[in-house]
Amino acid sequence: MSRPLRVALAGNPNVGKTSLFNELTGAAEAVGNLAGVTVDVSVGRVAARHGAARPIEVVDLPGIYSLNASSEDGVLAYEVLCGRGSVVPDVIVLVLDATNLARNLYLALQVRELGCRCVVALNMMDAARDSGIDVDVDALAKALGVPVVETVARSGDGIDALLTTVARGGPVAAAQFVDVEEPTVRAYEARYGRAAGRWHCIEAHGQAPDPDTGRAVEALVEARYAAVDQMLERVVRPIRPPKPTRSRSEQIDRILTHRIGGPLVFVVVMALVFQAMFAGAEPFMKSIEATVGWLQAWISNTFGDHLWVDLINDGVLAGVGNVVVFVPQVALLFAFIGLLEDSGYMARAAFIIDRIMMKAGLSGSSFVPLLSGYACAIPAILGTRTIRSRRARIATMLMVPFASCSARLPIYALLIGAFFEADTIVWGPFSIGGLLLLAMYTLSTVSALAMGFVYSRTILRGPRLPLFIELPPYRLPRLRHTLSKVWERVRGFLRDAGTTILAATVVLWAVLTFPQPPPDVGVEAEVTPIEHSLGGRVGKAIEPALQPMGQDWRVGIGILGSFAAREVFISTLGLVFGIENADEDDAPLRERLRTARDPKTGRKLYTPLSATALMVFFVYAAQCMSTLAVVRRETKTWRWPAFMFLSMTLIAYVAAVLVYQVGTWLGWGTDVSMFV
Amino acid sequence: MTPDACSLADLELRTAARIVKVCASGAMRVQLLEMGFVRGTRVEVLKRAPLGDPLELRVRGYHVCLRAEDAAAVRVERCQ
Repeated sequence: MSRPLRVALAGNPNVGKTSLFNELTGAAEAVGNLAGVTVDVSVGRVAARHGAARPIEVVDLPGIYSLNASSEDGVLAYEVLCGRGSVVPDVIVLVLDATNLARNLYLALQVRELGCRCVVALNMMDAARDSGIDVDVDALAKALGVPVVETVARSGDGIDALLTTVARGGPVAAAQFVDVEEPTVRAYEARYGRAAGRWHCIEAHGQAPDPDTGRAVEALVEARYAAVDQMLERVVRPIRPPKPTRSRSEQIDRILTHRIGGPLVFVVVMALVFQAMFAGAEPFMKSIEATVGWLQAWISNTFGDHLWVDLINDGVLAGVGNVVVFVPQVALLFAFIGLLEDSGYMARAAFIIDRIMMKAGLSGSSFVPLLSGYACAIPAILGTRTIRSRRARIATMLMVPFASCSARLPIYALLIGAFFEADTIVWGPFSIGGLLLLAMYTLSTVSALAMGFVYSRTILRGPRLPLFIELPPYRLPRLRHTLSKVWERVRGFLRDAGTTILAATVVLWAVLTFPQPPPDVGVEAEVTPIEHSLGGRVGKAIEPALQPMGQDWRVGIGILGSFAAREVFISTLGLVFGIENADEDDAPLRERLRTARDPKTGRKLYTPLSATALMVFFVYAAQCMSTLAVVRRETKTWRWPAFMFLSMTLIAYVAAVLVYQVGTWLGWGTDVSMFV
Repeated sequence: MTPDACSLADLELRTAARIVKVCASGAMRVQLLEMGFVRGTRVEVLKRAPLGDPLELRVRGYHVCLRAEDAAAVRVERCQ
């Protein structure tokens, strides 16, 4: 059995490279990721229906405009194309956009300098002809010195011809260079070899600019573009008086990026995305929770009261539920992202909002992930993949958990309901409860933006790069393409983050269960089982640290339990007070919280001030292991989730202590509150 | 300096111009050049975003948006 032929797909962004990949591999074929690199690279097998003579494996390299060291994507592509990467391709398929050879051929010339076995897929030939230009395929093949195959990836035309050419192999194309007489370029070529010398020359200028390399870079890039222009004259010809290109797109943009219409459409589209994630996913999530609940009830009814039943129910099944419950939101967000990107609107959205995001040190492409964070951090962090710069992507990931996600709402509702006259009208339509909630959301938004500002100027500071957002022509989004992307993302989440979340839920269950109280310690001792567990003891041990923020060990156990998911705080705190199922009806728990008194001093345990401090704690605290698991999955290191957890916990603690201490100093910490 | 030269950020909308030089250095210079902002290339500012920034440009047949602060590094000369 021969080893599969390994093919790497390279090309500019927006040239249909991923469509080609999907067309080649088919949605049903196994898609994995390249190991050992921080950039996500899809790997798949060519589907059997294409009838290739031998098995072919395809690696979809990230879309790049050029092979340079200024992005991780560029470095990865360069290494793979040179045969020094973590995967060594037999053939490179360079995908070129026939409607835009003026820019695409720059990358083609760079690849040609490497001298590798290469086939060009000349994509979007249909669109090129529509706009009134024809590309002479033979002339292009001759100019580049490699075979050229016409394709239309969206419809699948030309794919089989491409595969036949790829499977035939052919000789390795000799490296061809555009002559550059510039002395610094010459010096680098003499030192590293011609192709590598040019790469190092450009890299050197990027790292430590000086006038010599500055001139060299200009000479090199100018020479390549001059060669591109010469090539264009030979291969591109008008087939009829050219239509004003992109006229349809420009007409659409007259509304969608209009001074007033643009922001209006933007707000409507974003509101739709948010509404779908916040409310549209709700019925699905509810039915997943109901199914898990039904299974748990069935198991405990059938098998009775055993420890292993608890393990299955509260550990394993709860863990599976914790994972699957995110699927509706993840799927919805990626469906929207897919449709918006495929249609070309995503770039316009970034164009419109960039000015505002710039103030937080980010670009317009961070907006959708941040917005999604208000529904749930999990899809939001997965959604940061649309951000091209890794620094900006990590900054956005670090900001997302500050956005008040929907899991915090039940906690705010419990605390506001227990300690404030939530329905009392303060002014106009504003009630105390509404204003408090608004305050928490404002605090979270301001903090997210402030942290973005700080991170992009400190730990994530990098060389200033120009922000390029290509505005591709509008196209009709394809449902099948989008759905296969959604499926790929959901599967990736289940496989990589799901296992971590499941394991953590089981561990957390054990921590809050063992050791169990001896059977004779019962009701009279007023010790709940959870209090006796390791988690309970930890809660008690950290009480001195919690006192400055107005909390006691009971809340400490609740905070520990909420690590599974923030809303679990309620059911855990319920168990501490001996109340079952507080998550379904929190009225009894509200009552207990309101009236709970310290058995020794008789003073009230919790006050409106301590409740406010606790809410502020939850605005900031990274109390969500699923978020941390997803950050680990996306950054491929534990460093960022660890940083996220430690920094957010510290900020949460300091903020809560500040609220409680300043409040106490102002005399708001008394038992009898002005609000109740 | 010729009177019809200015930075790309200051160029009037829908006015054809040619690139004279890229004044940035480092990674910024590399990226601007490699995206096609080389001497002699035609460029046009099509639109400003609703909030005034970034700019939508047409260069080498494609549309790209670039922030005014980045575009300021590109010197252009209006076509006659």
